[in-house]
Amino acid sequence: MALRFSKSKHNTKVILDGERWERRLQKELMSLIKEPPPGVVVDSDQGENLSLWTIKMRGAEGTLYEGENFTLQFKFSPKYPFDSPEVTFIGPNIPVHPHVYSNGHICLSILTDDWSPALSVQTVCLSIVSMLSSCKEKKRPPDNSFYVKTCNKNPKKTKWWYHDDTV
Amino acid sequence: METTNAPGPSKSGKDGEEKEENPLFECNICLDTAKDAVVSMCGHLFCWPCLHQWLETRPTRQLCPVCKAAIGKDKVIPLYGRGSNQQEDPRNKVPPRPAGQRSEPETNSGFPGFGFGDGGFHMSFGIGAFPFGFITSTFNPHDQRPSQAARGLPNEDEFISKMFLYVAITFIIWLLLA
Ligand SMILES: [Zn+2]
Ligand SMILES: [Zn+2]
Repeated sequence: MALRFSKSKHNTKVILDGERWERRLQKELMSLIKEPPPGVVVDSDQGENLSLWTIKMRGAEGTLYEGENFTLQFKFSPKYPFDSPEVTFIGPNIPVHPHVYSNGHICLSILTDDWSPALSVQTVCLSIVSMLSSCKEKKRPPDNSFYVKTCNKNPKKTKWWYHDDTV
Repeated sequence: METTNAPGPSKSGKDGEEKEENPLFECNICLDTAKDAVVSMCGHLFCWPCLHQWLETRPTRQLCPVCKAAIGKDKVIPLYGRGSNQQEDPRNKVPPRPAGQRSEPETNSGFPGFGFGDGGFHMSFGIGAFPFGFITSTFNPHDQRPSQAARGLPNEDEFISKMFLYVAITFIIWLLLA
């Protein structure tokens, strides 16, 4: 369970009041370390740049993903939190789930249409944990192979058609 | 992996202090103590610059970030704390905060007898007649002595002013009856 900032030199050109959003990200980091959602244990290895986070997540006990480890990547644009973060699974183990494509893209409405600046890394992690935990059958989305071949690298560019939430 | 290390330079001092502050008054968007605070009808607190920027982000779909209730520029109330000006961050002055609304109590018009419902013509005529009669009678005393002595027509000016007064009064009565 690791939360890590990339050390890339990519400088985000800030809008209006950049320091404020940087402070928000720092606050979010602190509260994530202090009160991580279940299944997310955070350890920090910080860099200069707060715009790229890597978060490790463990499949919750008693679910189909028990014992598995996943890595989530959060990319924050300079417009965060007005603009949703770009959240994808990365690394060798992408959870097999009806809302998770094999390239790591996640079909979750709060990551695009239903995003609100009152949401946070913490609430996004919680949603993803609960999305995994409620899964009853491990399978890829039905359109997985087509989507993965044709989609943009940025999942936010996808015009998602949100699957039934009960899955 | 250093767990205790602060992730940024502004971290250690400032955030330590903020932990002491009441999170009840933190803006739901920037997570800082709300500046130029406004509260929505659903009771959620924001900095006005933060909320303004969110409303601009999705102008066609303005929802409260917290509870998704309908929200808008005319649906928030500014909060004025005592001495709040001192805490204002000049960087956040960008869009003016919507002003507080204060309804004036109902007052009666100064000319109840004339009745606004009668229309503009009667009103302006009535106002015109009054000062005319008033001025004539007020200026009269200054004139009175010289004219009395020189012309021997002691009551002429007084008569004229009284005439005006009667005309004015008659007109007012006519207006009242009409
Ligand atoms: Zn704010
Ligand atoms: Zn609300």
